[in-house]
Amino acid sequence: MQTVDRNKKSWSLRDVIFLAIIAIFFGIIYQVWSYAYYGLAATPLKPYANDLTLGVWIMAGPLAGILLQKAGATVVGELLAAAVEMLLFSSWGASTLLSGFIQGIGNELGFAATGYKNWGRTGLLLSTIGATIITFIWDWFQSGYSEYNFGLLATLLIIRFISIGFFAGILVYWIKQLVEKTGLIK
Amino acid sequence: MKAKQKINPAVLSIIMLGIGLQIAFSQSVILNLIVTLVSLAYLIYCRVSLKVLFFTLLVALPLAFGSWWSFLVFGTGDRLHNAWIYGTRVYSYLTLGAAITLTVPVKELLLSLSLHLKLSPTFVYGLLAAFNLFERIRFQFKHIQYSAQMRGKTYYPWQPALYLRIIIVALNWSGDLAEAMTSQGFSEGYERTMTFNDRLPFWQWVLCLTLILAYFWAAFILRPW
Amino acid sequence: MAQLEITDLNFTYSNQQALLFNNFNFSLKAGSFNLLVGPSGSGKSTLFKLMSGLYPQYGGQKTNGAVLLNGQDVSEVVPFERARHIALLFQNPSRQFAMQTVEEQLIFALENLRIPIQEIPRRITAVLTQLKLASFRKRKLLTLSGGEQQRVALATVLAMDSDIILLDEPFANVDNANRTALLHELKLLQQQQHKTIMISDHETTGYIDRADHVYQLKTPTSSLKELSLNILKAQPPKTFVHTDPAIIKRNDKLSWKKLSLAAGKKQLLVKNNFSLQEGTLGLLSGDNGVGKSTLFAALCHQKRYTGTVYYQGKASEKVRLRKWAKIVANVFQNSTDQFVKIHVNEEIQLSQKNSLHPEYWNPSRIKNATEKLQLLQLKEQVCYQLSGGQQKKLQVLSILIMSQPIMLLDEPFAGLDPQSLHEILLLIKETVTALHLSVLVISHQRIGVTSFMDYEVHLENKILQLTGDHNES
Repeated sequence: MQTVDRNKKSWSLRDVIFLAIIAIFFGIIYQVWSYAYYGLAATPLKPYANDLTLGVWIMAGPLAGILLQKAGATVVGELLAAAVEMLLFSSWGASTLLSGFIQGIGNELGFAATGYKNWGRTGLLLSTIGATIITFIWDWFQSGYSEYNFGLLATLLIIRFISIGFFAGILVYWIKQLVEKTGLIK
Repeated sequence: MKAKQKINPAVLSIIMLGIGLQIAFSQSVILNLIVTLVSLAYLIYCRVSLKVLFFTLLVALPLAFGSWWSFLVFGTGDRLHNAWIYGTRVYSYLTLGAAITLTVPVKELLLSLSLHLKLSPTFVYGLLAAFNLFERIRFQFKHIQYSAQMRGKTYYPWQPALYLRIIIVALNWSGDLAEAMTSQGFSEGYERTMTFNDRLPFWQWVLCLTLILAYFWAAFILRPW
Repeated sequence: MAQLEITDLNFTYSNQQALLFNNFNFSLKAGSFNLLVGPSGSGKSTLFKLMSGLYPQYGGQKTNGAVLLNGQDVSEVVPFERARHIALLFQNPSRQFAMQTVEEQLIFALENLRIPIQEIPRRITAVLTQLKLASFRKRKLLTLSGGEQQRVALATVLAMDSDIILLDEPFANVDNANRTALLHELKLLQQQQHKTIMISDHETTGYIDRADHVYQLKTPTSSLKELSLNILKAQPPKTFVHTDPAIIKRNDKLSWKKLSLAAGKKQLLVKNNFSLQEGTLGLLSGDNGVGKSTLFAALCHQKRYTGTVYYQGKASEKVRLRKWAKIVANVFQNSTDQFVKIHVNEEIQLSQKNSLHPEYWNPSRIKNATEKLQLLQLKEQVCYQLSGGQQKKLQVLSILIMSQPIMLLDEPFAGLDPQSLHEILLLIKETVTALHLSVLVISHQRIGVTSFMDYEVHLENKILQLTGDHNES
């Protein structure tokens, strides 16, 4: 009988299901957040709403990264979350997948900068910086940030970094610590 | 009755991403409206319920309005033009996405991506298996909340403890499912038979390429208002 | 015909733990029908996962020996080859399907095995006919009962034409009628198609004249102990609950009127009226899959129902969930759904801090209870790393300390040794009496349990009814 080739280092079925289930949970949590977002987004304060909640939307990526600790995990984690969001919760349409990809790249760059060696504070800090910069560039075009006045832009950049820094950085770090305490993931 | 000829899900996905990416860089209200109208026309052609369409459009209205208004308040340069660009852009993205999500079942989409664009079966079946748990995951979320509330605690989305609970469930369930699927012969990275087959006539590739190039030409060379 | 043999196997879940299987040897006789008994947590699932090649891929470490399928290490064989010879049916039917409908599920398995496209529909028709499931072909798996789902799982195995079929507690969510039918079908498969069958079960009823061998497992171990077939003849001792008529005339705590419940399209309870009295400990019995856990979920406002649930005479539907959780507590069937903290002592301290009866649950009483349940020495351990039985004790203790007026305990005794069972029942009874609580328990284990119960209520045919001798009084 044919034997398994264990040298193939690709995504395992279990990892995919694992991240997809987490993504569905995130989708359920997002539904709660989306009311807050929605209330703010119907006004000229929409850019504030975008940047303030951004950290919540992108935390699936770095979380996947620190849980699986391998190259590509962050992008794929974020893409999976976006795909789940689009297919199961059908929200925001085509931009969900595109933004998910861009956000994932931003976070991934941070971990890549450490040579995928640091999944702790340094890695997460770089990942949040990467995500802040890349997503800001994306919104420069996609959401027309290039047309806003300078004062608003500066404020948005700071808010964005705080949001991403907390949710995709500090909170993810806390989660990592808890998971390590349980000894369930090696 | 002859079945309606639909655009293949894989081709549709490429159109969505190909045009979606360009929309982010284009500066045209007219093109946004054209994309929206063409997507809507396709949706109606595919007999998507008008009620569903109406509500989808209605729900996005506050978002489009928020974008529109924010450029009037905070914008620079041609505020009115910008306001209309970014207001209508919300609808281009929405309808472009809906052209897939409202016309193709998830399973067909994933299988089609696997068949024509080499998406690995591990992702296709992993995602499908997880999606089947949707209702149970919803129930489990309530369960987790109740378990904390019984003990005088409430979980909020900014507390790591909530995510730990989610991770533990995901860990257990993904293990169960992956084990079962492996026991049913699913072999990661190996060929398998595929009974799914959808039509992908050559002209659809031509259509895909034409639409993307036409958009490029219109958005970045023609540059209408 | 496939041969399965385990030679000198050493296996453990982690380096820090002792070996579960130590120099373990076993040979599965081809074409035989085997029953594997042992309480929950005794290692039955682990053994099956090793035999079917899922371990060590999905957990644990093998430090010596091998499981050999036709002489080849089974964990090294590629899954699509392996599945033609050996397949495993899991306890929880809802988490063993990748696809939505019966037909899609069968197609998935056959595609995995690289069966030619034109052959697939023919095979599906054949197995569905054989298991009398032809009308289920297009049905959604989610809408099927536990018993029906296990039949579909069996159909999947048959379609793959696996020689060896392992079934890990397959009847946990299956009612008695379906259990008998499934056992009958399995026996026919053994006799007519020469399949090798091995079932793990904590019950021995229904195996008489069916099982050729009965094995007992209790890890850590080096072998399976073969038991005499005579144990299948032994009738479980009849255990009745003697209901004291005075007790059920006490004040109502929780009651419901016209309560109707459904799971999917299946109606579980129809317009039921019932009440739980203060200071009572009751047993909720009924067949597997009849809706006992769903009833608990409804009473915790976790599942939709129609009708009204009253607490102290007031309708409860508008009570906020956060408040309701302080009135009705639920010990979940699945332990890991319960834990809020990471370590055992934190888990107990949280309950102590937020207890509804802090005057009763003073530190010395808590310490005492912790000691009696043998949890004291586990204080520093991680909840998720405890054994099944230890987790159960911790779950029950943390809820008892909370002391909600209503407590619903769903299989709280699974995996407990007789000593622990006795201690925990004493503790429950003591708390119920002292604090006038009302506790309802689901437990398939009756021995050692029924003597503590004040009444028994039985769920059958969508009706919930008191049983026992209260009628005569």
